[in-house]
Amino acid sequence: MDTSTAIRVEGLRQRYGDFEAVAGISFEVRTGELFALLGTNGAGKTTTLEALEGHRAVHEGTVRVLGRDPHRERRAVRPRIGIMLQEGGFFADLTVAETVDHWRGFTPAPRGRDEAVALAGLTEKAGVRVRQLSGGQKRRLDLALALLGRPAVLFLDEPTAGMDPEARHTTWKIVRDVVASGATVVLTTHYLEEAERLADRLAILHRGRIKTSGTVGDVVAGYGDRISFQLPGRVRVAELPALGGARADITVDGGRTVASYTVTGTGLQAGLYDLLRWAEEERVPLDGLQARSASLEDVFLRTAAEGTTR
Amino acid sequence: MNLAATSLPAVSLSAMLRVSRLDLTLLWRNKSSLVTVFGLPVVFAGMLVPMKGVDMGGVDGALLQGTGHLGFFLVFGVLMNLVTVFTARREDLTLKRLRGTALSDAEITGGSVLTATGMYAVQALALLTVLGVALGGRFPADPVLVLAGLAGGVAVFAALAFALSGVSPSAELAQLTVLPIVFGCMLGAGVMFPLDDLPGWLAQISRFTPLSPVVEITRTGYFGQDFHDHSAHPSVGVLAGWRTCLPSFGVLALWAVLGRALAARWFRWEPRHA
Repeated sequence: MDTSTAIRVEGLRQRYGDFEAVAGISFEVRTGELFALLGTNGAGKTTTLEALEGHRAVHEGTVRVLGRDPHRERRAVRPRIGIMLQEGGFFADLTVAETVDHWRGFTPAPRGRDEAVALAGLTEKAGVRVRQLSGGQKRRLDLALALLGRPAVLFLDEPTAGMDPEARHTTWKIVRDVVASGATVVLTTHYLEEAERLADRLAILHRGRIKTSGTVGDVVAGYGDRISFQLPGRVRVAELPALGGARADITVDGGRTVASYTVTGTGLQAGLYDLLRWAEEERVPLDGLQARSASLEDVFLRTAAEGTTR
Repeated sequence: MNLAATSLPAVSLSAMLRVSRLDLTLLWRNKSSLVTVFGLPVVFAGMLVPMKGVDMGGVDGALLQGTGHLGFFLVFGVLMNLVTVFTARREDLTLKRLRGTALSDAEITGGSVLTATGMYAVQALALLTVLGVALGGRFPADPVLVLAGLAGGVAVFAALAFALSGVSPSAELAQLTVLPIVFGCMLGAGVMFPLDDLPGWLAQISRFTPLSPVVEITRTGYFGQDFHDHSAHPSVGVLAGWRTCLPSFGVLALWAVLGRALAARWFRWEPRHA
């Protein structure tokens, strides 16, 4: 086994009846890196993750976690991985401390109880029954249970769903610490900010296929920087200049007409210079002028839109 | 390192005991299931009192029914208990979470079977004590035969429980799924009256219900009399007792195989529409 590769997926296909949730995807996750699976609801993120966790058998293709088949060799793989399900049940009648205690019994070489409860940020709630926790608190307990055995590979299915911003930042810090300690993390999310902040590499899934993958920089490159402004009433659309070869897209938003450009070839600075020079010469005021580099959000929305128009 | 990991035993007793500890904590927290597990047997044991001194086929009615209950308690302690626990845990996704730990499938199921067996053993011992102390019963003539019959019963009803949990959509409906078996066992296994009181053909069919072999074996072992030949109950020695129970063990083995096959086919770890 190549020790620099923690996870290898080749030609994975997963079906539910006639519905193909994952339609042949391949990727690798290197040891010690955080890999994010992005996608809209129903894109196949959770199905992919559950195949990696060994929760279901693979219909077609190969999945290897730490060099083993996570479903058939569950016994060998499970002690070395941590799983935070998107929706996993708790025993509502147990307290936080009792839940951790019982789970310590199911985990080889677990963290101490107090350490785990503190990791979840629930030290004050240790004696409270799980049914009384908020959704965000349950997610944090979930994360602490997944980290109980100091796993070599950690799977997080939408780890910050339902958390307030403060809890989200705390969770991000915990996840960063886990990665810094050398663990490999695969997480799914539909918060783009989460992927942008945490991921070493990511893949965008749409309808069971990987549409694009790489580092955030790789993925965003080629999607074009954006310039937009409100079109003054006296300027006709045909009079607008082309910027680096790109024509303006006109949208009407809340009664305002907005002209926007997606600049690829010459870059943002040259495009903006062309626009400002034109505005100066024509004496056109550019209200609401915005110029920004391409973001993951642009890529994500474009990917989703391409899928629906196809 | 790879070899060491592969050769891990599939089931460790200490892991099963830790699952069992979780079961008992949860049972203690849930008073209504505590009542079902321990209250119902008390009610059934109470119903034996009026039967004391009534002759039923040559033996005391309280003892005949009491030895029937010995097997019948499997329905509460093992069958109902396991069907409810596994259906509820599947639907609230705690089973899926347990399966995400280092526990093997066999440890998760085996641990709860261990709990159920322990609780059933407490019920059975209590009943045997009540029979001996209050109802004029005796120490079992062949305790090993009694134990073998009950152990076979645990295996059969545990397997049936996993199968039935797979076809029960919710923990509430699981009670209904179990009901036909409860009634079938109550009427068709000779718990309340000797099977010989039924018409011949019906008695023969009844011998093939999952509980009737358990009842026949435990009665033969308890009384030291042949309860397979229902009309006379001649006394039997140890060897003859086992020999006369062979057909019953055969029926139990059939149910164990069938139960396992159905469990493998129907049991589910996750809700159908996850």
